[in-house]
Amino acid sequence: MTLLDFARGPAFFAAFSILIAGLLWRTSGLLLLRRRRNLAKVRIRGPVAAVAGGLRAVAMRSVPPHELEKNITFQHFTGYAWHIGWFVTFLFLGAHLPFIRSILGFGWPSLPNGVLLVITAITLGILLTLYIRRLFHPVLRVITDMDDHISVLLTILPLITGIAAFAHWSVFGLRYETMLSIHILSVEALMVWLPFGKIYHCATGLLTRFRLGATFIRRGVRA
Amino acid sequence: MSDLSEFESRVKGLKSLAHPVTLPDEERVRRAKQVMLEKLDSHTAMDLETCVHCGMCAEACHFYESTHDPKYTPIHKAYLLRKVYRRELSPVRLLNKLFLREITAQQLDEWTELAFNSCTECGRCDLMCPMGIHITQAISITREALGAAGAAPPELRAMEHEQAEHGTVFGVGPEQLLRTIEELRGRGIGIPLDEPVAEVMVLTTALDLLLYKDTFAATARILNKLKVSWTVRSAGFEAANFGMLSGHLRGQALESQRIVDAAVACGAKLVITPECGHAYPALRWDAANELGKPLPFEVMAISEYVGREIRAGRLKVRPVEVPRKVTYQDPCKLGRHGGVFDEPRAALKALGLELREMQSHGKTQYCCGGGGGVFLIDASAPLRRRTFEIKQHQVDDTGADALVTTCNSCRLNLTSEARKVNWDIPVESLVELVAASLTDNP
Repeated sequence: MTLLDFARGPAFFAAFSILIAGLLWRTSGLLLLRRRRNLAKVRIRGPVAAVAGGLRAVAMRSVPPHELEKNITFQHFTGYAWHIGWFVTFLFLGAHLPFIRSILGFGWPSLPNGVLLVITAITLGILLTLYIRRLFHPVLRVITDMDDHISVLLTILPLITGIAAFAHWSVFGLRYETMLSIHILSVEALMVWLPFGKIYHCATGLLTRFRLGATFIRRGVRA
Repeated sequence: MSDLSEFESRVKGLKSLAHPVTLPDEERVRRAKQVMLEKLDSHTAMDLETCVHCGMCAEACHFYESTHDPKYTPIHKAYLLRKVYRRELSPVRLLNKLFLREITAQQLDEWTELAFNSCTECGRCDLMCPMGIHITQAISITREALGAAGAAPPELRAMEHEQAEHGTVFGVGPEQLLRTIEELRGRGIGIPLDEPVAEVMVLTTALDLLLYKDTFAATARILNKLKVSWTVRSAGFEAANFGMLSGHLRGQALESQRIVDAAVACGAKLVITPECGHAYPALRWDAANELGKPLPFEVMAISEYVGREIRAGRLKVRPVEVPRKVTYQDPCKLGRHGGVFDEPRAALKALGLELREMQSHGKTQYCCGGGGGVFLIDASAPLRRRTFEIKQHQVDDTGADALVTTCNSCRLNLTSEARKVNWDIPVESLVELVAASLTDNP
């Protein structure tokens, strides 16, 4: 079995299994923790109000709070930009689509390689900039831990290895097939880490927003 | 003013009244962890798991904004809880234990500064977090854990001990209540005390009985004007809850129970909290959950009640004779934590006052800087000064002639800080303004 066969076969199967099992484990663990029934008489009653309050929070937390715009605009919009860039690259690169098609059974048109190369480069640039900012910004330094370093590294690696494979760069004299294998393995490393590190927020982020909005609306506050 | 100075000296002396903490370090850590693990639920756990460490909450915090010290980042204040959660309760705790060490007694003491001295639990960070994390809830649990470990600030421990053991606050008990009521009766203001049956039970605070008697008098005049059946009960008149402020769970439940018992004894359908910010969430949101059953009465803040009665046309007020420009300080515990925004503004409008809103008002209002018991903490004095500057600038920008609020802690803190910098804007009580404009004023 070649390294490429391993990356495409057993390694992918193992990473995918860990991803699904990890997500189920962590999410069910969270949901099974005790919940407290609120016995206080709420100001705004009823499930409709709670759902409306929750959905409002889900929507409104997607835009920067107007009073803080001047301070967080850069971080807010670069955060959006790299997430979008990362997923556009993953979903619309011509080389990825046969793989996606083989998993889902259907696909969609790809974007031109040149466009995606620019998007990937911008995404990588933003991620590196944000990481350097994290290393030097006083607030981010206080709240940064090992999880951040690992998560950033594993998010960046597929982009770097992907560009290298795509451009047929022979890093350390490695063959294209080996570079491609490393790229696939880097994605699999991300899949393995996702349920355990902070990237897990992709599973709960909307839920926490919703819950906060529902909690506050019961007290009469649109959060 | 001399009353204020005298009160400030009493606050200064609080620290020396605190009982020393004699628990061994291991026991302190054990107690803190026990509270954290008991109080952590699915909601808070998910919050702690979802934080992406973006640090945006720092920009919402008046302590960070006024100092730019990164340790005041709100989510950082919850990191002690997060650490215990990740090591002990998280579904991926086995992995987390590889990276995280056990919390220490030294960390408990470090977190006194973060969870108490530099956090008023104002909740502004909750409304700013892009992930919708209820940061204040996590800090509140941290406070309770520190309280159990004897790591609450000495001033709050002293206050909690006095209230739990003696049933008094600043030495104010039923005797002082009676003296004040008799004094006000001497001014022609009727205050029903210990009526066996009443529709409405009114709470007051030691602060009002010592410093702001006119606020208590104003409340009485409004209720008399409305001709409601009301009373103050000497067995449960104190609205302040130092169990809540010091993170002492049993103390918090005890104070709430006193009020509930007093209200049940007179069959009150409505309990009105005074112009005291934290008294409102303590009774309205927390009491039922602490006591394990729904409260058998409604809870309203006095400003909420007054605004409602004015809107309904039951309380008639005449516009002030000299129109003034005022700005309104939303107390965090009433506004952001309680949804009381419109009623106080309705009252100001009925009084014919021109309301000039601060840049941050309503749900994004800045805390006065002294909430959550911080006004009493001596170590917080330099921070309070810094945070006050934010408020001062925002008020000055409105061009208002007066600052109106409906929380005696806000009023006291703002008056006290204003005096230190010779800022001469009056800080006024909403309820007093309303009472002064009652038609057929007694």
